[in-house]
Amino acid sequence: MPDIAKLKSTLNEWCNRQYQTDEFQDLLTLPWTMERGRYYVVQNALYTKNRRDCWGYVQAAAPLDVKSLVWQHESDELINDPRAGMDHYSLNVKQGEVIGLMREDFENAEPPPMTQAAFLAWHHIAVKGPWLAAFTSSQMLERRNNPDIVEGGGMSYRIGRKFENELGISLKRMISLDVHSTADTDHSDMMDGVYDKHVRTQEDYDTVLRAAKQCMAVDRAYRGGMAYVMRRIEG
Amino acid sequence: METHAAQQNGVESVWQELVELVNRQFETPPFRRLLDLRFSQARAQALSIQMKHYVANRRDCWAFVAGAAPLSVKRLIWEHEGEELMGDKAAGKVDHITLAVQEGKIFGLSPEDYERVRPLDAAVACFYAWIHLAKDRPWREAVAASAVLEMRNSDELVRGGSLSYRVGKNLERDLGIPLKRQINNAEHVTADVEHGQLLLAVAREHCHTEEEQQALLRGARESLVIDRAYREQLVNMMEALD
Repeated sequence: MPDIAKLKSTLNEWCNRQYQTDEFQDLLTLPWTMERGRYYVVQNALYTKNRRDCWGYVQAAAPLDVKSLVWQHESDELINDPRAGMDHYSLNVKQGEVIGLMREDFENAEPPPMTQAAFLAWHHIAVKGPWLAAFTSSQMLERRNNPDIVEGGGMSYRIGRKFENELGISLKRMISLDVHSTADTDHSDMMDGVYDKHVRTQEDYDTVLRAAKQCMAVDRAYRGGMAYVMRRIEG
Repeated sequence: METHAAQQNGVESVWQELVELVNRQFETPPFRRLLDLRFSQARAQALSIQMKHYVANRRDCWAFVAGAAPLSVKRLIWEHEGEELMGDKAAGKVDHITLAVQEGKIFGLSPEDYERVRPLDAAVACFYAWIHLAKDRPWREAVAASAVLEMRNSDELVRGGSLSYRVGKNLERDLGIPLKRQINNAEHVTADVEHGQLLLAVAREHCHTEEEQQALLRGARESLVIDRAYREQLVNMMEALD
């Protein structure tokens, strides 16, 4: 029987290590200007949309008990998160108002080449992989946003702090980043039991690790791609 | 550039065509054979178990459709899937797989029977065919492929009653089990009236060009072909039980 505690601890270690990589450091040490902040928020809405696609595919291929879990998870995202009183895409748009963005800015946004490639890569894992790989790939992104797992806080928290420290906009006003600073603790925790129940063989164990590694590579490509484009934004 | 009125006319006309398609489904030989069949207890048991597998395949397909669809359509599907996957706790309703298994009691089946008996080989082939439409076709075709099966089960759209209703009435006639005691069939007779409207909402919001409207018809037609193939195999299975 595989050692699930060891599996989870490996996943947690990889989530933490992600923040020390060049790509994450490039993004997190980039000086934050208002234009760069706006760009990040708009692009993050596209990232959120990509998550909805991928979780849909995860739900499709997973066993019924996992389908039900994903469905509950998607309630916050698609319909209404009681923490915010709205779905997460609307939350992104609402947050944008604080920094002078309008709904059209979100609707007309296009992902730059590297992030578009990352979206397609995540799609690929979600659609083509075994269900446990698809699941792990999507779950890892919430795991590495979980402040209970990542020392120093998840990505939403750290980006929120950049708005606060560098642009003087408090995290409380960046409502989407604020909600995600804690929402992904719940989301990550609610899915954790799937490994306990469904990782039964060494092959399952290896599938999870392989998918987690692939997801983290795509995640680094995405963050590195964002840093590359944002560094070139003046003002 | 088409005017709004022309677009709406196009949507209404495609909707009418879809409604006709689901009505014609009942005139096809596989559906006629299915609905002319007399039920024995063994046949009812076999059908009930196979329908549980069918319902599980629907859950796969709808989620694939949601994966590729725009956000507003994802939301419609999320709502649709709530009842199917979670039931309605406030109304004391269980999810639809559990419901199918609970209904089995009246046919003399145990929950283990539903676990033990696998889908027919031909059913597996049909399930993969539906998954192909849901997963690999453009999203409008995919949503139509899944939604048309709900339309075909809507009492509001099908003259003479939906498939669940007709099968339920035949079970009542042949086995003396009132439709209201067939909790799964009875639930679908009601639920699929609402679910049957999902595609119209999608068409009104997202299918404004001729090409987009044709995509709906393409997905619906192909799904109904698989539906006929699937029902034919169910009839073959039940006839063999004589």
